[in-house]
Amino acid sequence: MKQFGKILKFELKYYFKNKVFVGVTVFLVLVIAIVMFFPRFKTFFKPDGAAEELPIMLVKADESTQADMLKQAFTEAFTDYKVQITNEDNSVIKEKITSDEVYCAFVMTSPTTYTYYVNNLSMSDMNTGIASGVLQHIYMMNAMIGSGMAIDQVTDVMNIQVIGEVENLGKNQMENFFYTYIMVFALYMVILLYGQMVATNVATEKSSRAMELLITSAKPTSMMFGKVIASCLAGLIQIAAIFGSALVLYKLNKSYWGDNMIIESIFNIPPELLVYMLVFFILGFLIYAFMYGAVGSTASKLEDINTSVMPITMLFVIAFIVVVFSMSAGNVDNTLMKVCSFIPLTSPMSMFTRIAMSTVSLYEIAISIVILIVSTIGIGFISAKIYRVGVLMYGTTPKISAIIKAIRKA
Amino acid sequence: MILELKEIEKSFGEKKVLTGVSFKAEGGKAFGLLGRNGAGKTTAIRILMDVFPANSGEVFLDGSPIDYDKVAMGYLPEERGLYPKKIIIDQLTYFAELKGMSKKEAVKSIDYWLERLDMTEYRNRRLDTLSKGNQQKIQLITALAHDPDIIILDEPFSGLDPVNALLLKDVVKEQIAKGKIVLFSSHQMNYIEEFCDSIAILNEGKVVLHGELRDIKRDYPRDRLIIRTETPDKIIADFGTSCTKTEDGDLMLRLTDASEKRTVMTQLVENYDIDEVKVFEPSLNDIFVEFAGDSI
Repeated sequence: MKQFGKILKFELKYYFKNKVFVGVTVFLVLVIAIVMFFPRFKTFFKPDGAAEELPIMLVKADESTQADMLKQAFTEAFTDYKVQITNEDNSVIKEKITSDEVYCAFVMTSPTTYTYYVNNLSMSDMNTGIASGVLQHIYMMNAMIGSGMAIDQVTDVMNIQVIGEVENLGKNQMENFFYTYIMVFALYMVILLYGQMVATNVATEKSSRAMELLITSAKPTSMMFGKVIASCLAGLIQIAAIFGSALVLYKLNKSYWGDNMIIESIFNIPPELLVYMLVFFILGFLIYAFMYGAVGSTASKLEDINTSVMPITMLFVIAFIVVVFSMSAGNVDNTLMKVCSFIPLTSPMSMFTRIAMSTVSLYEIAISIVILIVSTIGIGFISAKIYRVGVLMYGTTPKISAIIKAIRKA
Repeated sequence: MILELKEIEKSFGEKKVLTGVSFKAEGGKAFGLLGRNGAGKTTAIRILMDVFPANSGEVFLDGSPIDYDKVAMGYLPEERGLYPKKIIIDQLTYFAELKGMSKKEAVKSIDYWLERLDMTEYRNRRLDTLSKGNQQKIQLITALAHDPDIIILDEPFSGLDPVNALLLKDVVKEQIAKGKIVLFSSHQMNYIEEFCDSIAILNEGKVVLHGELRDIKRDYPRDRLIIRTETPDKIIADFGTSCTKTEDGDLMLRLTDASEKRTVMTQLVENYDIDEVKVFEPSLNDIFVEFAGDSI
């Protein structure tokens, strides 16, 4: 136990004296600072009054397609654009779009058909949908007026507001999506990054033969747990520094951000979810770090590390993909996710996602966590055994069967 | 203090590495564990240090099974290795702390050893800025700083210049004088011969020779004479094939039986122009080649 404490301290010091580790942390904090201060700078550079130039939207329409009415309706519907009626030739319009003079153009071919011209169709471009709605609206109004209805009546009918209320009994997936995504992504990044670091750390000790001394000075279990827990602490501290500074910086610039739903939701994670996040984060981190450490001990050269850790990384990437796909599909309770949320290597991400975005009963969470804790400890001890055998195997990287044999014999 | 290995067996998979290895090392004396490459020396040392257990057999200290929690061991591995990118004082302290010292004790002891080995100026440098010989000295400190009862030195002299070798010899003699068990493993027979009172020779995982070096030499068949003479050709002509020239120009005469030693010596002195005649005493090198070399 005493040894464990010393190893932990020594390894932690390694991270905090590591220039890359410190550099990356500082860099990330700086990036976040720039992002957080961005709205403030924006208002700083653009004094009030100088209204922003809106992109131009051309609408080509003639009498038969009611140019005046269209202009009015489009201007109301597209508040983000400066709507202009044009009579120019199609080729001129296209020319203007490709030269960025105007952003887009609707060329009406009849009251209910049009062609939409745009330079690069962005994924979030909803203009055609809006335009179709507007045109449908106009067409219906005209039809009603044509059939003899009074204009007031028509306006009333067309402007009828449907009032509905949403009462959410479970979780609001829309709101939770962003912080769940951030958490899953952070877990993914940190495990890959630190897993590699643990593996490299072990392999470096092996290749520099510092291992020869370590293995005769300390118990392999102390070594393994000391190393892995130190990296976990370093990871947590790094994340705390990054998210902590993000929170502080956001608070400083809150007034400039206005009501940004996404950012608001990120900083309003419910406390019990934060606890779950911490639990799954730590356990998920440890279980993978142990495996990375064990693999690192079997590599005989530093260059071999990347190929050796590939199977673990692949496993982890698959788990990540399952979670992210289920999240974007909006169904985090599918069978695959349910199964994954009980398997130790996938449960940190999938169970957390289910807790965050859906309703999971307490006993299911408890079972998942217990399975995870037991297997983390189990894998910890197995990896310490692999470590003891692996670090003394020089030469070519041993086959898995050889390692298993050696562990049984040891 | 007596350290004893009894009937140690060890195999890695199908490969048998040690077969019935037993030897004894005493405190206040240096013990040499000899053997060619791959003879099983490092495996024996690792079992002795509890890096992995033996398949059977046991390690005893003063007659009872060794308790690794109570006995401090210092080890200078043949494959030298520390953290190349770390500050020397930091890593030395770390290793001493792992061996159970408090930080304060560790720093004090390390500073003593840095001074003793003339390395104080490198205290706050990174290891990889040092020359190989100096790195070796730093490595030696990891084996000595925590004042161990048993010191295991694997090829301690390799890579040291004569001045540093002398310094190391002094340090080792000091430790032996303090009553510690010092176990050498080496191929450099001259050093072993100088230091070690008793030896064990390992060959293909078996102890082929074990005992006090003096006894081994004495028990060696005294059936060869070394003759220094001005007229070697005459003797060779008279004694035939039993007489051969050695590398340094002397003659070696092999007797049919050790008992006729005196008769032959008198005969030689009376009949030939002899500068010196003496019974051949093998060097450790000769013994080693004889016992460990047969599998060449």
